[in-house]
Amino acid sequence: MANSSSGMAVHDDCKLKFLELKAKRNYRFIVFKIEEKIQQVTVEKLGEPNESYDDFTASLPADECRYAVYDFDFTTSENCQKSKIFFVAWSPDTSRIRSKMLYASSKDRFRRELDGVQVELQATDPSEMSFDIVKSRAL
Amino acid sequence: MAQLSETYACAPSTERGRGILISGDPKSNSILYCNGRSVLIRYLDRPLHVQVYGEHGYPVTVARYSPNGEWIASADVSGTVRIWGTHNEFVLKKEFKVLSGRIDDLQWSPDGMRIVVCGDGKGKSLVRAFMWDSGSTIGDFDGHSRRVLSCDFKPTRPFRIVTCGEDFLVNLYEGPPFKFKLSIRDHSNFINCVRFSPDGNKFITVSSDKKGLIYDAKTGDKMGEFSSENGHTGSIYAVSWNPDSKQVLTVSADKSAKVWEISEDGSGKVVRTLVCSETGAVEDMLVGCLWQNDHLITVSLGGIINIFSASDLDQAPFSFSGHMKNVTTLTVLKNNQKMLSSSYDGIIIRWIQGVGYSGKIKHKDIPQIKCLVAVEEEIVTSGFDNKVWRVPLSDGECGDAEHVDVGSQPTDVSLAISSPGLALVSIDSGVVLLNGAKVVSNINLGFPVTACAIAPDGSEAIVGGQDGKLHIYSVTGDTLKEETVLEKHRGAITVIEYSPDVSMFASADGFHESVVWDRVSKEVKLNNMLFHTARLNCLAWSPDSTLVATGSLDTCVVIYEIGKPASSRITIKHAHLGGVYGLAFIDDLNVVSSGEDACVRLWRLTQE
Repeated sequence: MANSSSGMAVHDDCKLKFLELKAKRNYRFIVFKIEEKIQQVTVEKLGEPNESYDDFTASLPADECRYAVYDFDFTTSENCQKSKIFFVAWSPDTSRIRSKMLYASSKDRFRRELDGVQVELQATDPSEMSFDIVKSRAL
Repeated sequence: MAQLSETYACAPSTERGRGILISGDPKSNSILYCNGRSVLIRYLDRPLHVQVYGEHGYPVTVARYSPNGEWIASADVSGTVRIWGTHNEFVLKKEFKVLSGRIDDLQWSPDGMRIVVCGDGKGKSLVRAFMWDSGSTIGDFDGHSRRVLSCDFKPTRPFRIVTCGEDFLVNLYEGPPFKFKLSIRDHSNFINCVRFSPDGNKFITVSSDKKGLIYDAKTGDKMGEFSSENGHTGSIYAVSWNPDSKQVLTVSADKSAKVWEISEDGSGKVVRTLVCSETGAVEDMLVGCLWQNDHLITVSLGGIINIFSASDLDQAPFSFSGHMKNVTTLTVLKNNQKMLSSSYDGIIIRWIQGVGYSGKIKHKDIPQIKCLVAVEEEIVTSGFDNKVWRVPLSDGECGDAEHVDVGSQPTDVSLAISSPGLALVSIDSGVVLLNGAKVVSNINLGFPVTACAIAPDGSEAIVGGQDGKLHIYSVTGDTLKEETVLEKHRGAITVIEYSPDVSMFASADGFHESVVWDRVSKEVKLNNMLFHTARLNCLAWSPDSTLVATGSLDTCVVIYEIGKPASSRITIKHAHLGGVYGLAFIDDLNVVSSGEDACVRLWRLTQE
């Protein structure tokens, strides 16, 4: 795999799990972490389909950056059930600057690996990814 | 969900030495006036229902309804005129930059097609008349050399515009297209207001030389003047005609309003003098007036609006008022459900839910107010000097104030509610404990203190610093012993409040975050209260200690519920133009907020 501008490689598992979420819908969310020591983006946590948005927010650490993909189900104004895949760049203000820089520079390269993301969201504190904001971005 | 249930509107902003203009619509029984950047529409039969238009970027000076009542044109100090619809959520029709300076008066032509505007400017642009929808100029208005204070359109054909100003001149223009016709120099001082009679036969000019002159509307010949017997003894700031063109109302710096009978030959005689105040202070100088239907409305420099009944001049007027400046503090007096609001210029006003304005608390000694706390029988305030004032309050009247010098400007004042003699005042580098009006101890803490709170029983104090740390002290006698330091906030602490049941306390900071802590265990009870986007100015607990409301510079009020996650919050957007500075709960369902727009608003919370 070609490298991003920060030199980060993407582990094959990330792409595979994402395709599974997209095609087979067997995960509600995936949380990715950058392992600095091995210079790679790896899968940290997989969420079951029955887990809720609150479980997702709970699995993001409050003072470390992460990338995440969430499969959001909602009903449109015409009453059809739709689902959109959200990419969340979680970069809390309380995390270390080095961490924020690393995640920010690798984000673009990584996101392009995940083909089929419909909405991208950047959150610097829990209020920026609250459920109503996600819902308004989906519609 | 929160709904606006009542608005206690601000008073018109006034300036000493100048008149102000209020206008109205006889059909909808409403009056229009301006304060700061807002235009207020008040309905005389529904005083608690106020509409505010806040779209100007600069302080607004005058607003007028169009003759058909559908549009309002408002003008501000930058020379911009905005024309917007009365209904349909104030949709903007047009905006024009008309003069290069402040606009002092604006009038619609009787057919609603043209607008004339006058004011301050450079060179040519002191008066401008234009078509209301296209902005194209309809005349040349030379003839004035200094600020033009007032202008008016003749209501009947042949059309004339008359203007008057600081160069002691009254100019008459005829048209359209309007051209200078003649100039009258009869006054010996600033001419403050000129108005045509509704029937179009005469116009009156009133001036700071205490005279009022009556002229023929078509030719501009002087017909007569106000008789000097019983005349005004101070500058006359405004004049307003009776709808039947037989009488006028004038207001003056001599603190009285007079009703004059204007006879056919143009001389005026005083019918009645209306005195609106007993104290005769500077604030009672009258600066604005309006005669609408049966109401005679006068506005004083202190912002009090008096409404007399034209048919019964002996009846005492209905008066109400409001704040004129940023309302920085708000408290609720528990036993009688009255609200006290104060603004930095030292005005304290009492409000009653459902009724509105209930009077100003008069006090002789307190010049300016920055912090204010109140318990049943007394108010403790601090201003911009080094003093803390304690004023006993009985029945709404202030007794003699005692003051204490605390060494430097207080940044926050807190009272121990159960033993109100004990007060904690935070100053720049420490805190001062007061008992009654005596300093018990002055403790230097070594860090800049920005907020403080003392527990209702006086045993514990929490002090917040510039660095965002909360220091908890136990209070014994006159010393403080540090117990714990809590670090979570990322900005200077702005407010700390104990919950009414004293089991929790909440703190808010300048970084738009607030936190609720458990008092005993010092653990965070409610986290992630980050839904504001600017500095938090105020915080209030509901009486049952289940709701916390926070108000911020970002003009929103957010109400969180203890026990539920912070994301399930109620947001009130745009509560006050300019920022929310005061918050209090009246009961568990009603919140009252106050802000920079000088208004106080009552919100009702409903369960979804």
